[in-house]
Amino acid sequence: MIFHFQHFLKALLLGLFTLYFANLHLTGDISKYINPKYDFMSKMAAILFFILLLIQITRIWSEKHSHHTCSHNCDHDHGNSHWNLKRIVGYSIVAFPIITGFMIPPATLDASIAANKGFLVGKENSQGSFLMEGAESLVEKEHIDIYSSDVDDIALPNENYLSESEYDERFRLLQESETIEMADDMFSTYYGEINDNPKTYAGKKIKLSGFVFKEKGFESNQLVISRFLITHCIADASIIGFLTEFDGADTIQEDTWVEIDGVIEVGSYDGYELPILKVTSLSVIDEPSEPYIYPVLKLLGN
Amino acid sequence: MQYRQKRSGKLSTVFVVGILVLCLVPLFLKTSSLTISNSFLQLNTIFLSILIEAIPFVLIGVLIAGFIQIFITEDHIRAWIPKNKFLAVLMSCVVGAVFPACECGIVPIVRRLIGKGVPLYAGVGFLLTGPLINPIVILSTYMAFGNNKEIAILRMGVGFAAALAIALVVSVLFKTNQLKNAKELQRSKTKAKKQPLVPRISEMFKHSIDEFFDMSKYLIAGAFVAAFLQTYVSTQSLLQLGNTQVQSTLVMMALAFVLSLCSEADAFIGASFRNVFPTTSILAFLVYGPMIDLKNTIMLLSVFKAKFVFVLFVLITSIVFLFVTLSSLL
Repeated sequence: MIFHFQHFLKALLLGLFTLYFANLHLTGDISKYINPKYDFMSKMAAILFFILLLIQITRIWSEKHSHHTCSHNCDHDHGNSHWNLKRIVGYSIVAFPIITGFMIPPATLDASIAANKGFLVGKENSQGSFLMEGAESLVEKEHIDIYSSDVDDIALPNENYLSESEYDERFRLLQESETIEMADDMFSTYYGEINDNPKTYAGKKIKLSGFVFKEKGFESNQLVISRFLITHCIADASIIGFLTEFDGADTIQEDTWVEIDGVIEVGSYDGYELPILKVTSLSVIDEPSEPYIYPVLKLLGN
Repeated sequence: MQYRQKRSGKLSTVFVVGILVLCLVPLFLKTSSLTISNSFLQLNTIFLSILIEAIPFVLIGVLIAGFIQIFITEDHIRAWIPKNKFLAVLMSCVVGAVFPACECGIVPIVRRLIGKGVPLYAGVGFLLTGPLINPIVILSTYMAFGNNKEIAILRMGVGFAAALAIALVVSVLFKTNQLKNAKELQRSKTKAKKQPLVPRISEMFKHSIDEFFDMSKYLIAGAFVAAFLQTYVSTQSLLQLGNTQVQSTLVMMALAFVLSLCSEADAFIGASFRNVFPTTSILAFLVYGPMIDLKNTIMLLSVFKAKFVFVLFVLITSIVFLFVTLSSLL
């Protein structure tokens, strides 16, 4: 019996990948990286890694030392050749995400990333109001979910599926209730609606939580209470939030999580009309366990 | 010789022990005691999230590549691909259009196909339309732009035309398959002897595993660079450059390249720029990103000669720019 070290190493790495993907689901950390709507793909990855691991284990030991004669004229590395620097670098690169993945806890995106991504306030970055349109159109129109099978239809808290009637009901609430509650699941929808029609909602009370973000050029009484909207993975996060005004805003550090009660007013920033929240009460809160928000997906026919 | 083998054996043992120790450390030690800069934490999270998003697609890609390697022979390929260059390119673009793939999952498949004797230009057509035109992308584009059919149709139409043009230019410029590994050139005919099915399937998985290790290092490197740029480079500063349509189109293409988003998710990001830039620029973002981006350029460099990847990059950039600009005149 001959022991093939590189095959062993590949098996080890496949095993660690299996564990890593399984662990993401077991600990729930997956939601720190990916919109839970796409859970299915990474679960499938864990299963595929496991199958590949089983196959790979059979290659660790062989009867006799024979170089795999490649009858299929392939060019890739079968792991039978000897070590060199290139190979070591290759395996190290593959091991790198597993190491950082296990060792370094996932971070929540913060204001420094928000600053890079840009925000709605101001001329150059009026895309914020845009974002919303994207999110809203999702809400309005996404009747079909492209990834989930029918089995997945049971709404999990974070998956943000709403039935048509439930959605309409929630939307009606926005228009009728005196105090608008910006719940996580409807955050992007409400935000879009209010941002598009600030005049309709002027004078209403609003209650929301988010982290503090400040743009260059803000007055001392201005900050933005913001959230990251995740479409697929953290890399495609976009930032949405309301410009908020109250005396002493400059004393609150960026990235602080706050919950506020306020009143919506129509204001302008750099010549753009937008809703501005006037704070009536504010409290500092802990970062929630689910800091991100996801676009709403309506289920058809419920 | 003996000595060298021994030494490398030792080295590899040290290496694997190192990996094991590093992986086991967190079990014994609360990692919070390590002080890592906040920006690196952010970078690492974005990096892993890109990988977690992409790896399932890459796994599917390498399995398909393994399948092609074991079950498809050069004879099949010869029989399927039209002799006429134009027809071959057209066919490859159509096949790519109906084949759902993402831009990283498709690289191992294309490599395997070209290795099996598919002409380079046909491989390129498939490479370009595979991630760009497929049902999932059409649907998400349609939804992201508020059920606006126009953008989705333009994206597919302009993308298809650009892919055809690029593949045709490639067919004129390059006569060989441009694969990096010379061994690939000496294609011996696959042995026709029929093995039983079970060993062939097991062989297919083994090829998929080796392919995964070949490809994933480039994917990982690409994801890291993309995450690095997202963490430390401001998109904001880029946006301020786009004053005229030509500038804003170039800015959006640069953004598509750098962000390296999966083609299924990029429509929503593209849609978020509608107030800032004209439709043409956004169309450029939507067509260009799935064809080439940072992450898959690095993967392509592992498969093809650097010179070819460079020419391909220039071709894609200029032809997409040209076609998108022309489409605005329609």
